Amino acid sequence: MILPTTVVGSYSVPEWLERLKTEYYQRRISAQHLAEIHEVAIKAAVKDQELAGIDIVSDGELRRDNDVDYFLARIPGVHIPQRAKTDYFDYYDAEVTRPLPESPDDKDTALDLANDYKFTRQLTQKPVKFSFTGPFSLSRRIRDGAYERPGDLVRALARRLNAEARALAAAGADFLQVDEPFLAGYPEHVELAVEAVNIVTENVDVTWALHVCYGNRYARPSWEGHYDFLFPAVQAARVDQIVLEFARKGLDDLRLIGQHGWDKWLGFGVIDVKTSEVETPELVAARIRRALEYVPAGRLMINPDCGLRHLAPEVARRKLRAMVAGVAAVRAELPGGDTP
Amino acid sequence: MDVDLRPVRKLRESAATRQALGPIIEAVCTSPADLATLRIVCDWIQYKQNFRPPVASRKIGAIGTEIAVDLRRCADIAPGDAEAEIKNALADPAGLPLEPWVPGRDSCIWRFNALYWQFLSEWEKATGRQYEQSLPGGESDARNTEAASELILELFRIWDELDARRALPDELYILELGVGNGSQARTWLDEFVQLDRRHGRDYYRRLRYLMGDYSPHVLERARRAVAHHAERISALVVDATRPGITLGFLNSKAFLVYISNVYDNLPTDELACIHGRTYQVQTQAYLTDDDADAIAAQSGTPRPALPKLIDRLLRIGPELLSESAPSHFPDTVAAVGFWRAVWEALKLKERYVPLEGLDSYPLTPDLTGEILRPLIEADGDVRMHVSNGALASLTGTLPLLHPFGRVQCHDLFLTGAQQYHTGFYGPGKYDGSVVNWVNGPLLQLVASRRGFGVQFAPFRQRPGSNITTLTAQARD
Repeated sequence: MILPTTVVGSYSVPEWLERLKTEYYQRRISAQHLAEIHEVAIKAAVKDQELAGIDIVSDGELRRDNDVDYFLARIPGVHIPQRAKTDYFDYYDAEVTRPLPESPDDKDTALDLANDYKFTRQLTQKPVKFSFTGPFSLSRRIRDGAYERPGDLVRALARRLNAEARALAAAGADFLQVDEPFLAGYPEHVELAVEAVNIVTENVDVTWALHVCYGNRYARPSWEGHYDFLFPAVQAARVDQIVLEFARKGLDDLRLIGQHGWDKWLGFGVIDVKTSEVETPELVAARIRRALEYVPAGRLMINPDCGLRHLAPEVARRKLRAMVAGVAAVRAELPGGDTP
Repeated sequence: MDVDLRPVRKLRESAATRQALGPIIEAVCTSPADLATLRIVCDWIQYKQNFRPPVASRKIGAIGTEIAVDLRRCADIAPGDAEAEIKNALADPAGLPLEPWVPGRDSCIWRFNALYWQFLSEWEKATGRQYEQSLPGGESDARNTEAASELILELFRIWDELDARRALPDELYILELGVGNGSQARTWLDEFVQLDRRHGRDYYRRLRYLMGDYSPHVLERARRAVAHHAERISALVVDATRPGITLGFLNSKAFLVYISNVYDNLPTDELACIHGRTYQVQTQAYLTDDDADAIAAQSGTPRPALPKLIDRLLRIGPELLSESAPSHFPDTVAAVGFWRAVWEALKLKERYVPLEGLDSYPLTPDLTGEILRPLIEADGDVRMHVSNGALASLTGTLPLLHPFGRVQCHDLFLTGAQQYHTGFYGPGKYDGSVVNWVNGPLLQLVASRRGFGVQFAPFRQRPGSNITTLTAQARD
């Protein structure tokens, strides 16, 4: 299939679900009830994606309170003094006071991401992408009182995530994505982040994507700038695809793809997730045609800029439908593009 | 019967008020009202011009009544008159209603408020003084170079950092909402030029200072005050409650949004929690019979025709009113005189209407009342502003901020919900405009749910002032 469509990871979190999540963090509903609520929400999210015509679906990351704490709360050695929250989406204060315990023989997969994957896998016949936050971004939310060299915490987190990735692959996952939403704020650390990504992906034989955006906390960019900082360091990342945002920022940075000879896949962001204004299929198609000037159709995957979590459910559905329709229009123009 | 005495400090200070309270409560107790469902609430209405009679009654749904007493004025009620006052309040005389019952934010007092800003020059001509002179201290809080300097140097620090990582935009946007007479903009820009010269990075060349105000008249006056910065200035008519409509192009671009004395002047509802049930406070503007008769006589209008005439004034303004009704108002000054007389006499009746579910209450176009739940649950029986206009303004402004931008806002903020238990915070009349304190904890909560930390600090440049500074910045 050319121009396959997918999502970056998170799916719309309806207001009622936000409220229930907060109820849990204020200890008003049980973990068991929340887990059941999450399962129902994930089923609905997968169904929404299927109905929209998305080719590669995700679990919508609906179990996660935010992009960081879901992981930190489960990583052995990360200390979180206060686990109740005023609002579920708030970040914990997390710290490490001694080096993280290593995972012996990859047996200790405390995050249990493989189980999350397996639940989604049995819901759909479609290919599934599974994403998780990368070690560099996780490290930015930890007060490090353990490591002499700042990079060592990032590397330790990467080894922990590598164990999870192996378990994911063993569970059948074949498309994994590392998200680094904090990297754009620390461009001087791009080499370290890439080194850590390579630790995560080491000996995990799946299709790997690396997503770098300018942040999507509360549907706002956390930083502004250009993707120049990624290059040339990102060329050394052992991934098959980089997933970048273009819809909100404009298409100028496409030039970097050609300029630096990026010869792997590009996950091309065509939907702005920070506005509820729904793109038209024509606009999506126009963006894709522009990308095709820099990347051949055989290496272009189409996705929103970032996760859809801050969009209202109906807006998220309409945006996905517009994306799929825009892709269909371009496919029809390409040789062999109208065959599924 | 509940008796809720809010202004504790004032009660301690005023023996006359304490003495007046006894006869009032005595009169309530001897009235035919059902004391089991009666509440007495006593506020100290600090605004000499306000919308309340000294004693009034309010219906609480279909189940109770509240007697509202203004403690500041109750000392003027002779002990022998208390019974008559209470009887009159419970009888709830109709007066001359100017509108149906509506939520506070939809009251015609906000149309008067808008009229004031729209026809400020006519009002000023009639009163013989500029609006700044009606502010406490006779000037706005916007002329302080020290405050401007602090902000500018902080911006330079941020811009230097962004520049170092090649992330500094070509154009550096500053937005001022509610520009007053331009003195804030002038002070700020003059200071900017000096500091920029010393800093040596030529940021002034990239600076875009946007002045936004509801009133074209105010905007024009402010623009003249900063004429020497003309190339850096744009002046835009902006509805502060919907900044995104005019300023959408600024999304994620503004490094500073400066707002001074705007939020207290934006429409608001009030909600009340009484015995665990949530009510919306509905209001109805009216003129007392005496006032209505006097204004009707002065304007040569039959009393029943007054509401239509007032509505016409609010729709077309004093100038066109005098042109369209020269027999009543030979010139604009006469029409402004009519406007001022109505405004001075205007009162509000209030009643409590049960709210069926917080999520069915639209706080702003983008926000349901569900967000109020933590505040209501935390504060027990309380009546509070929900600051709809200020909330809409702030939530419309936050998306304009650059990731490293901030909102700085000087206004009348409550900084803790408990303050509602100890004082009165509006509405009052301020010259021709409305003033309400702003529910700071609510703004803080809403901003927090959008990823912004909000801090309150005393307005350092004028110690002892009621003004508080709100600063909102992205957190995490």
